[in-house]
Amino acid sequence: MPWLEIDGKPVDVPAGMNLIEAARLLNVEIPHYCYHAGLTVVGSCRMCQVEVEIGGRKSIAIGCNTKAADGMKVTTKSKAVFKLRRSILEFYLQHHPLDCPICDDAGECDLQNYYMSHGLHDSRVALDEKKHKHKVMDVGPTVVLDSERCVLCSRCIRFCREITGTAELGIFNHGRDNELLTVPGKQLDNDYSGCVVDICPVGALTDKDFRFKRRVWYMKRTASVCTGCSRGCNVFVDWEIDRRYKDPERRIQRLKPRYNRMVNEWWMCDQGRYSYHAVDAPNRISTPRVNVQGNGHVPSTDEVLTRAADKIQSALKRQGAGSVAVLATSASSNEDLFLLNRLFIDKLKVQNIDTTFGFEKLGKQDEILKRADLTPNRRGALEMQIKPSGDGQSGDDLLAAAVEGEFDVLVVVRHDLSAALSERDLTKLRKNTGYILYLASHDNGLSAIADDVLPLAMWAEREASYTNFQGRVQRTRKPFEPRGMALPEWELWQLLGQKLGLAASYDSVPAVFDALGATFEGYKGLTWDSLGNSGKMLITAPDPVYKKVQTSQPLPAY
Amino acid sequence: MAANGNLLISRNFAVENMASIDVALKNGAYDQLKRAVKMKPEEVTELVKASGLRGHGGAGFSAGTKWGFIPKDKFPRYVTVNGDESEPGTCKDRLILERDPHLLIEGALICAYAVQAERVYIYIRGEYFYPTKVTAEAVKQAYAKGFAGKNILNSGWSCSVHMHNGAGAYICGEETGLIESMEGKKGWPRLKPPFYPAAIGLYGAPTIVNNVETLAFVPRVMEIGPEKFAALGTPKNGGTALYSLSGHVNNPGVYELPMGTPLMDLIHKFGGGIRNGHKLKAVIPGGSSSHILTAEECENLPLDFESVASRGSMLGSAAVMVIDETVSIPKLMHWMVRFYAHESCGQCTPCREGCDWLLRLSKKFIDGTARKRDIDDMWELADNIDGKTICALGAAVAWPTKSYLVKFRHEFEAVCRN
Repeated sequence: MPWLEIDGKPVDVPAGMNLIEAARLLNVEIPHYCYHAGLTVVGSCRMCQVEVEIGGRKSIAIGCNTKAADGMKVTTKSKAVFKLRRSILEFYLQHHPLDCPICDDAGECDLQNYYMSHGLHDSRVALDEKKHKHKVMDVGPTVVLDSERCVLCSRCIRFCREITGTAELGIFNHGRDNELLTVPGKQLDNDYSGCVVDICPVGALTDKDFRFKRRVWYMKRTASVCTGCSRGCNVFVDWEIDRRYKDPERRIQRLKPRYNRMVNEWWMCDQGRYSYHAVDAPNRISTPRVNVQGNGHVPSTDEVLTRAADKIQSALKRQGAGSVAVLATSASSNEDLFLLNRLFIDKLKVQNIDTTFGFEKLGKQDEILKRADLTPNRRGALEMQIKPSGDGQSGDDLLAAAVEGEFDVLVVVRHDLSAALSERDLTKLRKNTGYILYLASHDNGLSAIADDVLPLAMWAEREASYTNFQGRVQRTRKPFEPRGMALPEWELWQLLGQKLGLAASYDSVPAVFDALGATFEGYKGLTWDSLGNSGKMLITAPDPVYKKVQTSQPLPAY
Repeated sequence: MAANGNLLISRNFAVENMASIDVALKNGAYDQLKRAVKMKPEEVTELVKASGLRGHGGAGFSAGTKWGFIPKDKFPRYVTVNGDESEPGTCKDRLILERDPHLLIEGALICAYAVQAERVYIYIRGEYFYPTKVTAEAVKQAYAKGFAGKNILNSGWSCSVHMHNGAGAYICGEETGLIESMEGKKGWPRLKPPFYPAAIGLYGAPTIVNNVETLAFVPRVMEIGPEKFAALGTPKNGGTALYSLSGHVNNPGVYELPMGTPLMDLIHKFGGGIRNGHKLKAVIPGGSSSHILTAEECENLPLDFESVASRGSMLGSAAVMVIDETVSIPKLMHWMVRFYAHESCGQCTPCREGCDWLLRLSKKFIDGTARKRDIDDMWELADNIDGKTICALGAAVAWPTKSYLVKFRHEFEAVCRN
């Protein structure tokens, strides 16, 4: 373990760590453009120069390519170092178009930040001397490139080579005419293309989805988890609900990946990145609904739950536990599944209950992040034993039995059966089933024919925890209130349970989670507060090795 | 081409048809390779080390020491001949490639034997069509006679020789840029450390990169012995060097002279003096990237690495450019900066942005729109490039610029508007 001094403060760092990372341990930022901990070191921006004294010899070195060594004395804040950075910054700003007022990156741009901290100089270059390059280039389905703003740090190029392996980008031309472009005949079109916008230190690469939507300083940021697949990439939800003159329905402005060494490192896939559109999609259900006898009447949640409790109770009394079936889903959170378990399995002894079905869509799986399983919590459903028991049927048999009319009451959570069944089977299901209760967030073919529909709050409108495929329990946070009369699923189960004699009455998600932790083996020892920002492993799951780290750099959490 | 008696590499330059192997063999080509393969590889390295042979590509690094940097247990190993002679003023390597390619091939193979390399790459700049043709033919002939290929001269050691042409970039003369270019990538110099390709070079393997002239000296070092070779020059600077003399002298050309030959001797005795009786104004002693020397600084200056360095410049590739009183230094600087602005590879920021900026400022002195402030601005910009870049070529533009501005400031001030 090298022991060195940075700006007079001693620090012990792991062997092989470079000076930028070592300084981070002391919360000292060494300015840089081209260095990114997840990518190889190229040392081309020259912004991270620091003064290094070792063995009495002083020299200037770049922080990214200098390994911390025993007895090193590093100065990051001296006048000489400051002047060095300032001169490099001046080179960068020489031809900069200064279009910050219309640049999406303004507010989170390293050129701006370092200009404020190091530059504050007047330009020595006349306006007509500025060189012009391509602007507003459509380089792919998700990204727009502005070459004039580019600082040629090559982070995006290295990302496309080293992480996705698609190599769509390159620096073309020679010397002062160097320009970032796509390789001829190729588009920046891969499953992770949005990440190049995250790692671009300036506004050269901007996200088509976010362009001109909000100034970044108006947005609020909530640490959360993507629910698009079973990996559960850590994300930041950037949201803004006060300035709704534009896109009034759009509450989430964008998702950004959040560093978690064990799950997604710095990255996330495009599918997850743009999945937030569903939260404010036009077909969101915002009120409970009665389809059959309703005639436009908007019932209260309590009215619907009372009717559902009646139907369930009378079916159980008349025909026994075999007359009720629950098509649950592993898209529900741990808390949802816990109360589902308490109510239907523990209390009502329903045997026909399952979460896994053949009709569930599978995604594309790759070596990077994407998982074929598109539900965020299958591991949780497994741990909480949401599965058929006794004579109960499972999976597709359960659905087939429902179509044949074996059940009097059918409770469906989220699944869009109209996509899973043929039109004939769907009609049959409707005709053969006495009562269908449907809990969903979006309108679809089933919500149009179910007897009662209850609106569910989505992941961004509630707190929850999910167990990813590795067995890591991670929590989402709640940026804003649910749409309309929507409620989190666990609350609906609790309200329904109270009408059916279930004793549960939790007042918050943490209370549910802590009860869960006390009940199920895998979650033993986990409490809501212990989950923190990066989650905790189930005690039944081995600590996973996420994947080979691409860099030789050690990766501290920051 | 005139020279004095101590001829080593240029000895056979005047021999008719020397590029043909039959003629070359009659003149003793490959004799030293035959001797070398009977020695132990380490003995060859020691011999070269003892001779004090230094790199003639620019840095003047001891050749034998460089060969000794090869890690003991890492194979394969490569030898790369740097024939990307692009420094303005330098024109010595092409003579070797054109007139005695077998000397180079022999030297490269001796080097390859000394470090036990399995391949020799001869990298020649793209613009050298004729030298490439001649050298490629010579390589073919060497193969035919068994000097290259499998089991060379029944020594049990095999080494192939390959030709590779650059695409015309100054930066590919930088050894790691050259390696990148040979690997088929853009010729962008590699980040240091690792400092020497001897540890991690071509395709990640240990690689010796030596200049054409340096390797051409190797057979001669073996022939006359290290002591005699070292005795030719000054202490620390063994043997002779090919001086590329250009500029305002009566007899420009390439001269092979012992290291440490006085600069004034080169100009007056061999170069025939300044043209048309003009006065000497300045000399650029080691290619365009070296600091300029004023006429006074040129007096009593022996041309060897240490002496030139002691005057604040460098011998570099020994390309001596003579400038007489008719030359405007601001114009000279503009010419020089234009070259570097065109050749900057653009990888790291100070050089990419700085060279372009320097070019715009130096143009002002030509156009007559410059102000005195611009002199200081230029010096500051050059200083901001100097030593802040990945490769040494950032300094290659900064050094001359700074020296012109400091040593001839009055000329710049004379063309300023205020």
